[in-house]
Amino acid sequence: MDDLVRRYGDLTAVDGVSFRIAPGETYGLLGPNGAGKTTIISMVAGLIPADEGTITVLGQPVGPTRIAVKRHIGLVPQELAIYPELSGRENLTFFGRLQGLHSKDLAHRVDEVLDLIGLTDRAKDATKEYSGGMKRRLNIGIGLLHRPTLLILDEPTVGVDPQSRNAILESVEALSVEGMAVLYTTHYMEEAERLCDRIAIIDAGKFQAEGTRAELIQLTGEVDHISLSGSGAIPAAAEAIRALPAVQQVDADRHTLVLTVRDAPTAVAAIVTAASTAGMTLSDLEISRPDLESVFLQLTGKALRD
Amino acid sequence: MSRTDLRQLWTMTASDLRQRIRDRSVIIFALVVPLALMFVFNLALSGMEDVTLDTIDVAVAMPDGDQLAATLVDAALNSDAVEVNQTTAPADEVRELVRSGEVAMGIVVPEDFSEAVTSGRETVVDVVEGDQAGLESSVVVAVLQAVLDRFAAGTVAAAAGAQLGLPPEQLAVLAEEAATAGPQITLTEGETSNEQLSSSANLVAGQAGLFLLFTVGFGVLGLLAEREQGTLGRLRSMPMRPGLIVAAKGLVSYILGVVATSVLLVVGSLFFDVSFGSPLAVVALVLCVVAAGVSLMFIIAKVARTAEQANISQSIFAMVLGMSAGAFFPITASGALGQLMDLNPIAAFMRGLGITSGGGGIGDIGTPVLIMLGFAAVAAAVSRIVPDRGAGR
Repeated sequence: MDDLVRRYGDLTAVDGVSFRIAPGETYGLLGPNGAGKTTIISMVAGLIPADEGTITVLGQPVGPTRIAVKRHIGLVPQELAIYPELSGRENLTFFGRLQGLHSKDLAHRVDEVLDLIGLTDRAKDATKEYSGGMKRRLNIGIGLLHRPTLLILDEPTVGVDPQSRNAILESVEALSVEGMAVLYTTHYMEEAERLCDRIAIIDAGKFQAEGTRAELIQLTGEVDHISLSGSGAIPAAAEAIRALPAVQQVDADRHTLVLTVRDAPTAVAAIVTAASTAGMTLSDLEISRPDLESVFLQLTGKALRD
Repeated sequence: MSRTDLRQLWTMTASDLRQRIRDRSVIIFALVVPLALMFVFNLALSGMEDVTLDTIDVAVAMPDGDQLAATLVDAALNSDAVEVNQTTAPADEVRELVRSGEVAMGIVVPEDFSEAVTSGRETVVDVVEGDQAGLESSVVVAVLQAVLDRFAAGTVAAAAGAQLGLPPEQLAVLAEEAATAGPQITLTEGETSNEQLSSSANLVAGQAGLFLLFTVGFGVLGLLAEREQGTLGRLRSMPMRPGLIVAAKGLVSYILGVVATSVLLVVGSLFFDVSFGSPLAVVALVLCVVAAGVSLMFIIAKVARTAEQANISQSIFAMVLGMSAGAFFPITASGALGQLMDLNPIAAFMRGLGITSGGGGIGDIGTPVLIMLGFAAVAAAVSRIVPDRGAGR
């Protein structure tokens, strides 16, 4: 996607956005409601044309009248885009036929997807009788039924209970393993951190920053902190920890050591071992890391959920 | 249109029809409600048709030997419309008989009645109605008035003769002939000129036409519901021509409209012992009126922002077009309003059924067919021009 622009009257909803997604990569669009995420997705899915810029999937241009390329794209819209009067199997079969899947292959693929989204037992029930989480899973299943090259997921966990949400996130993680390119929009920082290989932070229609989680956090200049509390040889422990290469700074008082470190999850094991060996008995350990929320706050001057 | 296009078109149409049948609302609106209304209105109308008139007692006072007075009384009291027990009495006694309730009404013809009529002088026939007066006395009064109107015509003829210089004897003869002669103009009903449906047939045709406008909404207006529930966006992301989605909705509307209207006409015909005539001509009328209804729905689908707005607009159009066509009771209008009402496709449909029920065939329904197809073409053109107000949602 190169230099995408989309205007609604005087409002520029998307302003010069560019990005690329490789096979097997999960690319996240992280931003608050109204940032322009859904407009970008609508253009990439070929629902609306871009006023400026180009979109290509597998080298083919994308747009509302570009029919052939849509076979390579799967869309999971934010709304539950399923028919309540039809069963789960009928919904999948209906959209599978429109995608061009033929009888035998379609029936086999529908069974596979029902199994993948955990709805085999309820396949014959009308979806109006499904729970919210089951509808969300079916909504995703329809999007990946035809094995698209690019799967677009627009806030797929909105309004979902924690258990279903976890199941959905696990499904998405499995897709990238299969080599599918995934474009994932969310305003939940935890989801973007967990799923996305690269993340674009978007606000007011513009990309504020783009990169891996570590690259984005580096932009803030913030670092990880580990706080150790306990008794025993505190000064000796401080000296031992200070000697570790990942540790940048150690501040000590009578019972607590506050450490500034690079990549706390990796360094924590060596730190605990050093403290114990030096004679410190640990009673508490706390890790604090800068997250995408703080990146967003620093880049836009507002919180992600504003 | 390629095979793939046809396959996708039928996939969407079949799925939509399956859903409409499952949610049962189309069956209720397209069949159950109109059939129920047909039965209710038929009961009400048959009650009106079964009214029987009782014998009425009438006291009459009229001058002896007055031929016009005798003609007047004879015409009023011996019509086939109502049976009369006549009592002859002096004028004062007539009023007393009515007051006492011995007779239901009295008629007092003045002494100089014939002379007044032939000379063009004003005269008054007194009608006195008592407490027992009802529909029967109204019928007698109506007949009396009709005869008096004809006498007035005789007076006008005599006045015209006087202006031409005819002698008085000839004027009297002329006036009497004009007043008492039967009508010189008669209406002969040809088979295809009879566009009037019987009350039962009018009810069946009217309800079928009115509810057609509700039925066809289940297809086209589903576009707005799909937009709201998000499935329209998903459909548009499918590898198919965007126009197929709209075409499928139109096809669903058309199939539902043809099936529902046909069922209503057939069931209505069987239950109410009505014949609409040539099946081929009736099928042609049904196909045309459904085309007009579907085209109208496309305009509503473009103009309405939400499904709720669309449903309200649809109801308004259905009631206005249905009622002005005479779906519940006959409505007539003249002048520009009458010409406008002639363009109503439901009215054209009912007029066409009137022609076929009177024996007309496919060659006799050209005008109503042209009106319906013209309406469909204009509505389809308008629907393409008007901006889609809900597209931004």
